[in-house]
Amino acid sequence: MSMEQERDLTKRQMIVCDHVSKTFYTKNTETKVIADLNITANENEFLVLFGPGQCGKTTALNVMAGLETATSGTVTVGNEIVTKPGPERGFVYQTTALFPWYTVMKNVEYGPRARGMSKKERRKKAQYYIDLVGLGGFENSFPNQLSGGMQQRVGIARAYCNEPAVLFMDEPFGHLDAQTRYLMQEEIIRIWEKERRTVVFVTNNIEEAVYLADRVIVLTNCPTRVKKEFIIDLPRPRNYTDDKFLNLRAEIQDVVDKTL
Amino acid sequence: MDKKRLKYFVISCTSVIVFLGIWYLCTAVLELVRPTSLPDPVTVVKTFFYKLTHKAPDGATLMQHMYSSLRVALMGYALSLIIGIPLGILMAWSKPIDLLASPVFDFVKAIPGLAWAPMMIILMGIGIASKGVTIFISGMIPCVLNAYVGIKQTKEVHLWVARTFGATRRQMLFKVAIPTALPYIITGARVSLGACWMTIVAAEMVASSSGLGYMIQQCRGIYRPDVIIVGMLTIGFLGSLLTALLGCIERALVKGRDYEK
Amino acid sequence: MKNKAKQKQIAIKILATIFSFLIFGLLWEMLVRFSDVGRVMPGPLETLQSFFEHFTEKYSAYTLPEHVWRSLRRVLTGYFFAAIAAIALGILMASYKTIDAIVSPLFNMVRPIPPVAWIPLAILWFGINDGSKYFLIFWASFLSMVQNVYAGTKSADPKLIGAAKMLGANDGHIFLTIVLPSAVPYIFSGLQLGINSAWAMAIGSEMIRSTDGVGWLIIRGMDNNNLLQELVGILAVGIVGFALASVLRGVEAKLCRWNKRGT
Repeated sequence: MSMEQERDLTKRQMIVCDHVSKTFYTKNTETKVIADLNITANENEFLVLFGPGQCGKTTALNVMAGLETATSGTVTVGNEIVTKPGPERGFVYQTTALFPWYTVMKNVEYGPRARGMSKKERRKKAQYYIDLVGLGGFENSFPNQLSGGMQQRVGIARAYCNEPAVLFMDEPFGHLDAQTRYLMQEEIIRIWEKERRTVVFVTNNIEEAVYLADRVIVLTNCPTRVKKEFIIDLPRPRNYTDDKFLNLRAEIQDVVDKTL
Repeated sequence: MDKKRLKYFVISCTSVIVFLGIWYLCTAVLELVRPTSLPDPVTVVKTFFYKLTHKAPDGATLMQHMYSSLRVALMGYALSLIIGIPLGILMAWSKPIDLLASPVFDFVKAIPGLAWAPMMIILMGIGIASKGVTIFISGMIPCVLNAYVGIKQTKEVHLWVARTFGATRRQMLFKVAIPTALPYIITGARVSLGACWMTIVAAEMVASSSGLGYMIQQCRGIYRPDVIIVGMLTIGFLGSLLTALLGCIERALVKGRDYEK
Repeated sequence: MKNKAKQKQIAIKILATIFSFLIFGLLWEMLVRFSDVGRVMPGPLETLQSFFEHFTEKYSAYTLPEHVWRSLRRVLTGYFFAAIAAIALGILMASYKTIDAIVSPLFNMVRPIPPVAWIPLAILWFGINDGSKYFLIFWASFLSMVQNVYAGTKSADPKLIGAAKMLGANDGHIFLTIVLPSAVPYIFSGLQLGINSAWAMAIGSEMIRSTDGVGWLIIRGMDNNNLLQELVGILAVGIVGFALASVLRGVEAKLCRWNKRGT
């Protein structure tokens, strides 16, 4: 514990979830999805939220992003309390949430365009991020002409293009086939190392969590709270079959098994 | 939440009341429009009750007109279901029939049903038969179209599964393709009902001696908009009633199967 | 290779279409030759001949293309204004609950009444000339369009709206870039329905009261016991109806390229 606190002091805190809870009300039922969540993410940290299938990971992420409001508690990003969605926070969706009527270029430049950036400037910026995610040459394709992995690349470029301080990623590779998934994990690290941001990444895949994260937060089943935290200090690029990697993986698996 | 819904309900009610109020004000009170083009709402209600039992001014009571229209419309509708649905299924299921029948059908589809009415009248005279056939043609088109589209929705995978289990082609049609198409066929039946109901009204206006369409057409000639409006409302009401009845039959037919998803 | 297979398919389709109409014509001819119907009904060749003759010969005051044009002009005018009104009202109703609450009950009262049933009232209100026909065509196509526009505007995916908000778009921008494009396919199927109703209504209203147009042609054929004139009219109605639908389909395919599955 003392080590973690020490760590916190040396780095700026980018995201702070302070006693966040979330309950959904329908006509006669209420479902408590998040019990009491306290999470901080440091500047430029790759934080992974890891939890079993139906726990409130996505809801937690939506609350942090401002897509949903917390029932109690506050989320602070930078110095501001989050109340509604906004361009200071980027979001990459689970399944593709690209605008199907726009080409790759128009999707990526959507954010700058919405905020009134000049055409020349936003084209240049969008082109940079399209190239960064490795989609140069596909600028004029429509999303339905791309494969699942390429669509997620567009999603990442679109989120990056707004140059937000923090990025939220909600199981972005969950629907990809295994091979593409490995490739995309490498890619996201490459992109992140080039363009450092604070990333909060949600997944239900332990291997993915250990491969990507600076720090993994294991969440409990519904209603969600923090179960345990792991610092992953393996050097990058990581190797899925490395002993240390496998040990860490087993350690986290242990904790998860106890949850169920 | 409920408070909000109440608010919109009140707005809706106010809207209807204001509409009727303006209508009444413009006709009965301020007399902005002549009663020969728009009667006041009270007169319309009075005319409705009067027409239920009286034959004036067009020769039959409202009930008689209703009976006459309904009888022909439902006959034509039944015929279009019986012939249209199997035809659509056949066209979609058999490649040669599809290739040969689709072009002509695509052309016939573009002709509004009531355009056939005059020809049928020449061929069969003014009577039930000519109107019945016209209604049959307009009602058949949506039946064929939807059955066709429905059968085409059948997934290859489902057919493969059936084939692996040794199903014959006939079994594949009845056990796989038709169940897949059922929701489309039902939609087709609903659209067809609307088309039939519209065509009977139109056909009666063109040439007829009874029916709701005949009634409103006659009353135009003698400047009786009150009877016309009674007729229009009756036509609308009967149309909704038929659709609702069809909905009941539909629910009974597909009971226990969740086709919507 | 792929191109060749495609060409072959198109060739088969064209052949089948020709064959299809040939068989249809043959059946028709046989019906006329070998049954009583032949005494009043002309055969397919006679009909076609008359059809082409009337490109220059006149029915009453106008040639066939002139009659078609007169019908078409009514349709396009009424339809144009109906499309604008339906799109505007549909979007407004879907965007503002209050407008929805005001308009919906009135709309639901008149919606079950088939547009043709408005003909007598329209004639009383707007006279027997073009006024009533413009109103009827407007009304018929408006009714069949407005619901699709409404449904389309409501159909925007909340996830996409959320994504646009996360990217910093305000409500106006979201409407233009998310809600409207989502509605476009629905609007198009509404436009398609609308043109069908408009065309049917034009024929219907001309049949009941008019002095020109294709509907008049058909009804005058009935009055004179002239089936040939009727069949020519029906043929013209079919061709124009088919052309109108095809034009709209073409425009849709062009505008909604993104809506088709991958190439």
